[in-house]
Amino acid sequence: MTTVHIDNWKESIARMRNLAAASGRWAVRKPQFWFGASIILPTLIWYWMFSFRPILNALRLALVQYRILNPAASKFVGLDNFYQLFEHPLFFVSVRNTLVWALLAFIFILPLSLFIATCLANVRRGRNTYQALIFVPVVVSLVAVSLLFRMLMDPEVGMFNQILRALYLPESRWLAGSASALPTIVAVGSWKGLGFYVVILTAGILHIPEELYDAALVDGANEWQRFWRITLPLLGHTLLLVTVLLAIGTLQEFTFPFVMTRGGPGDATYVYNMLIYSEAFEDLRFGTATAAALLQFALILFISLLQIRLLRPTWSY
Amino acid sequence: MTASENIDLARASSSSLYRPSPRRLAGQAILHLILLLMSFVSITPFVWMVFASFKHFQELVRSTALLPQVWTLENYTEIINRVNFPAAFGNSALQATTVTLCSALTSAALGFVFAKYRFWGKEKLFTLLLSTMMIPFAVVLVPLYITIADMNMANQLSGIIVTGLWSTFGLFLMRQFMESIPSELLDAARIDGASEWRIFFTLVLPMATSALAALTVFIFLFNWDNFLWPLVVLNSPEKQTLPLVLAGLRSLYWTRYEMWAAGSMLTVVPVMLIYIFASKYFIRGLAMTGLKA
Repeated sequence: MTTVHIDNWKESIARMRNLAAASGRWAVRKPQFWFGASIILPTLIWYWMFSFRPILNALRLALVQYRILNPAASKFVGLDNFYQLFEHPLFFVSVRNTLVWALLAFIFILPLSLFIATCLANVRRGRNTYQALIFVPVVVSLVAVSLLFRMLMDPEVGMFNQILRALYLPESRWLAGSASALPTIVAVGSWKGLGFYVVILTAGILHIPEELYDAALVDGANEWQRFWRITLPLLGHTLLLVTVLLAIGTLQEFTFPFVMTRGGPGDATYVYNMLIYSEAFEDLRFGTATAAALLQFALILFISLLQIRLLRPTWSY
Repeated sequence: MTASENIDLARASSSSLYRPSPRRLAGQAILHLILLLMSFVSITPFVWMVFASFKHFQELVRSTALLPQVWTLENYTEIINRVNFPAAFGNSALQATTVTLCSALTSAALGFVFAKYRFWGKEKLFTLLLSTMMIPFAVVLVPLYITIADMNMANQLSGIIVTGLWSTFGLFLMRQFMESIPSELLDAARIDGASEWRIFFTLVLPMATSALAALTVFIFLFNWDNFLWPLVVLNSPEKQTLPLVLAGLRSLYWTRYEMWAAGSMLTVVPVMLIYIFASKYFIRGLAMTGLKA
């Protein structure tokens, strides 16, 4: 009997201690609780209003025929929006143009930015100045760059053709030619985006431990070997980041073709995001537009996961 | 920031071990040549545009000379008087500054809370918020427009401000940075009786200056440049932001390129001024993000 009493007594002391400790912790953590709550709560409300709810609504919108004047009367049509999308005369053209855009951007940007970044990492003086200059096109307004290159690439009076003419070289129709328009506009986009990837890659190269290069030098490796055997493999994580960002960015291109060519000539530069925009805000088919956007999301997700699967290095240093 | 400096230092000291052989000097010369060429390619179009904006139309389309033979300010006066550039400038400035200030502050506070506080479901919530970055903007384009229209913010500047008050990218960046602030410092301030608000504003924010500088420049440029969302929300000319008005020059002035150049200059100059002073933060911030992502 007595032992039980003593046990109970010990237990209650322990419980009181826990309680005191807990309330003490609470006294310390109370201001943190209020601060945290006053930050987290508005955050949750904002994210619900402007992010989570629109995303959920997108899933619903894609399955209804949206009535703009009377949203409540919108009719559930199942996958009809997707079928309508596939029958859209510009659907396959825009998908093809977008994929070509992404592919060309990879070809233009990846080798060149890697090359420039290697140069930047190895140059001993003026790295920051060069970087700042090469980065200039990244910060300049997209629309200004679009107009600028339309001026330079005017087939008649543009600077590009005037220079080619002066050098007795064949001229190009640039943005006005149906075959040359897409490569030209991607080249302009790549010119604008290059500096961004150069900076990321330069930081990645400079992050590689110098000892590895010293060791390779002692082993008699030349510059070429050091690049292929050390820089490129150890740059794996950064390269993965660059390829994923590049894919995500180019598959959502909109401003360049919208401002520079309106998708023309014909439909040569008509990209997928222009299709979504015109479905939504020119033809006012909200359901089809959102269905198209969800397809785009699925494609981007698939490509990103594929890249991560294929390119993710299995080591770290 | 210090990391890259350390690397620079290490690289400099270890490369000074090698004697500057003629071959190495030639290698450096080639590097400089390549980088000079690349810098040239990067900025020459803008230099051309600066001078083009001071030329008359006839000269612009006929001569290939870089400098104008006759300098003129007519392009600027016409564009300011005929197109409502001043209003667009005001709209852009108001929108970009409000969004930048608000989202930098919310990002910093959230980054602090997520880095230094412990609460139930923290990591899950963080992942949930971050996962919204994966959704392409086109997915929420229509539903977000419906939301804004329901709130009577369609065709209002507030419609594009309210959607920018929080920044998921900023949250990610600031949490990364706040993790490096020592918790002991915060506890010391708490024992001294400082409130959490005071700790945040007088201790944490000043320590995060470099990350905040990078973030504000990022957000400001993005918003100054933003095209698709303002295009959808703002319809009436007097409400539009600079990129929209600038894009409108294409149909307004057809092929009067000197007008395009002048309009582009008015849009680009403020950004370039910021860039001249903040390029260091910008490039460092991007390099830092690239390494941590």
